[in-house]
This record gives sequence, C-alpha cells and structure tokens, in this order.
Amino acid sequence: MKKTILLGSMLAASTFASVAQADMLDDIIASGTLRCAVVLDFPPMGMRDASNNPVGFDVDYCNDLAAALGVKAEIVETAFPERIPALMAGRVDVGVASTSDTLERAKTVGFSIPYYAFENAVVGNEKAAMTTWEDMKGKTVGATAGTYEAIWIEGKIKEWGVGEFRPYQTQADVFLALSQGQIDATVATVEVSEANVASGNFPGIMIVDKAPMVPDYVGLFTMRQEYGFINYLDLFVNQQVRTGRYAELYKKWVGEGVPADLTVNGVSR
Amino acid sequence: MFDTSMTLSDVWFLAQGAWITILVTIISVFFGTILGIGFGVFRYQVGPWWGAPVTFFLDIFRSIPLLIQLVLVNAFLGIVLRLQISGFAVACGVLTFYTAAYCAEIVRGGIEAVPQTTRRAARSLGMTWFQDMRYIVAPLATRVALPSWIGLSLGVMKDSALVYVVQVTELLKSTQILITRLQEPLFLLIIGGLFYFIISFPIARLGGYLEKRWSND
Repeated sequence: MKKTILLGSMLAASTFASVAQADMLDDIIASGTLRCAVVLDFPPMGMRDASNNPVGFDVDYCNDLAAALGVKAEIVETAFPERIPALMAGRVDVGVASTSDTLERAKTVGFSIPYYAFENAVVGNEKAAMTTWEDMKGKTVGATAGTYEAIWIEGKIKEWGVGEFRPYQTQADVFLALSQGQIDATVATVEVSEANVASGNFPGIMIVDKAPMVPDYVGLFTMRQEYGFINYLDLFVNQQVRTGRYAELYKKWVGEGVPADLTVNGVSR
Repeated sequence: MFDTSMTLSDVWFLAQGAWITILVTIISVFFGTILGIGFGVFRYQVGPWWGAPVTFFLDIFRSIPLLIQLVLVNAFLGIVLRLQISGFAVACGVLTFYTAAYCAEIVRGGIEAVPQTTRRAARSLGMTWFQDMRYIVAPLATRVALPSWIGLSLGVMKDSALVYVVQVTELLKSTQILITRLQEPLFLLIIGGLFYFIISFPIARLGGYLEKRWSND
C-alpha cells in the first residue's frame, strides 16, 4: 500500500494508529520506471521519428529526468486534453508535455518551475533588411487572423501610427505571402518560425529577432500533494539550465539561437 | 496518391497495431462469450423478476457508450482503488463485459427460440436439465444465435478501436500516429481500413459457411 485514499486513510487512522508511507519520489525509484506523459503530435517538443519511436525536446527531457533518478523512462503518449486525466488516473508519474502553468490547472496538479518557454519571433523577408523587432515600424506586416501574435502586432502598428497590417487565414498563407514579398514581416512562435525557415519551403525568409511578448511558460507537473517530488522537479529544471543541457536540447530540437530566459524579472520562484 | 512516403517499417508498425486489435478482440470475445452464456442461461432460468439485478448490471454495459466506460473504469481503478493495472488489461476487462452484455441477450434469444414442446419431450424421455441443455437446447440455440454472435464479434473488433483512450496502441491509433507523422490521412486510412477488412473478412465468411452447413441437416 503506497498511498491511501480518504476512506482508506480514515480506516487506517482508526485501526492502525500510524503507518509509514513512502511518497511518490520513493515509489518511482523503487519501481525502477518513470512514466512520463508526453504529447507526440507537437513538434519539435514531441513527435515520432522515421521508425515511429518517440523523439523530441520533451522526450529527451523525460529521459534526462529518468537518468537523474536512476530509473528507466517510459514515454506514455497522451493527447493534449488527456495529460492531466492520465496523471489523475495513475497512468503516469509526471507530465513532460509542454503544459502552460496556468493558475486554473494548478488547482488540480502541482507544477514545477518553468522548464521551457514558448517565445515569439519576428520573421522577415530578406529584402526588407531588418535587424531588430522595432524595424517592423512602417512596414507591411501580416499574421494569422485572431491569434495572440496578430492582436499584439496590430496593436503595435496602431501605436506607431505607420505601416499596414494584413490578416491571413492560415499560418502557411502568412509564410507564403512573406516568401513572395507581399508582406515584409510576420510574428510567429520561435518553434514554428525555425521549422519553416529550415524546411526550405519558403525561400527568402529569415528570423530577425524575438518579439518582446510575454512568453508562454510551461512546467512539469505531478500530483499536487507530492511536495517531495515537486521539489525534486524544481531542482532538476534548475540543474538542466545550470549544466547547459537546456541550451543543448534547444539547439538540438528548436534551432540556433538563445533559448528563452526561464526567470521573470522582479519576482522569485 | 500512390506517391507516398510510407515505408515498409510503417507497414510493420501497422501490423503490430493490428495484432493488438486481434489480441484484444480474441480475449474479450472468448471470455465475454463464456460470461454471456452464463448470464444468458441464468436470466432465462430464473425469469425476469429474479434476473432483474443481472439484467440491470448488463444494461449498464449496453447503454453507456464504450468510450465512457473505458475512461471511467480506468479512472476508477487508478484513482479510487490505486491499482497499477496496464491499459491493455483494462481494455480487455471492459470489452469482455461489453461483449458479455450483448452475448447474454443473444443466448437468451437462442434458448427462447427452442420450442417448449421439444424441451418437454426431452425431459419426458428422462433427460436431466443439464442433458436437455447440452444435447437439445445447445445445438438448436447455437444455430439461431450464430449470425448475431458473428455480428457481435465483428462489432467488438471494430469497437476495440476505442481502447486507445487507455493508452493501448491498436490498429486505429497506429494509423493515427502515422497520419500525424506523414500527413497523408486519406491514403493511410485506406491502408488502415484494408487491415480491418483483412481481419474481419475471414470471420464473416466463416460465419456464412457455418450457417449454410448447419441449415442443411
């Protein structure tokens, strides 16, 4: 018996005054396997290689965590909506699944400190000759209509009072327009931008700069009452950054450049 | 359309998924049928009044969508009972009861189709209840129930596609994994459908063959 549920604990409390309980961290080490929930249709964080084995940033991160614990890693593929239910049902020990650490989710699960952050990049046509995000001022800029990036850039253009904003239906349309020179720049997540530049499908585009938007921070998560394990996860994330493994994985899966800063200025955690 | 990036190893990957589908189907149909015969005979024997609890229990499995059953049973075993049971075992367990629920009805229908006069004649000849069931009811009821049972087995085979929710990578899930990677949904769904056809066609033909053979005598 590793953990007791409410009924069980009441029963235990009434009959056996105290029972020594191992926590999740001990259980994982004892079982010899760390089961990670990973989303595998979210490249480059989670995907499958040519022989259909799970690969990606999150998969490597899970393997690193298992290695740190001295156990074997088991990747449990979960869809986005199934990440937290899979943990609740005891199918996985930890979620390494690019999960935004929202306060709403934190009511259900316990988050580690952020282990990754999705930033946005300014991608420009090479002919537009931009070097910083502020060079977008006065240019024709496009983005996928209705997205967070589109709303941000449209606001910036209004603020500057010069330039033009063009909404597009899909991300592919935006990059096609950018490649053809119909627009000078766009804003998209760093991961999508890197992948599109690397794909070679859109010649003549380049990543200019990171957009100064609040990044989408994602954390590891486990059962919220498992303080021992959450504490371990926090230290593990810290060590990944400290040892340079974070930058190494970023280079391996996302691309050249500096990975996002995982700290928020002016507040501690 | 025939210009695909699917490789032989992907076909092998699908075949492994198909094997899981077959395995889940065989296990659940086998145990589901045994349980179903038990429940069906019991319900027929004790009548609607005493059989009500069993009927109610089986109706739960027949009236709640399989997807919900799988998710709830999985959550119950994991969260409430804190048992470490593999998704495969959960899938087989739920599908077994799902099969049993339908099979019980088929068995009951089959038994009811045996004329009362024939059974009375058997008992008049001095046969015990068990002998009556074994030598008179079973052969006649099987002939009546076989087509529905084949239909049920094929249905369970196709319904087993839902076990992906408990992290079992069967045929449909394997197909979806390939679709995510290769981005060729129509082609891959045709291949996946072909696999399902290859599995179910022999079962359907076997059913047709047995039906024909048994109806002649």
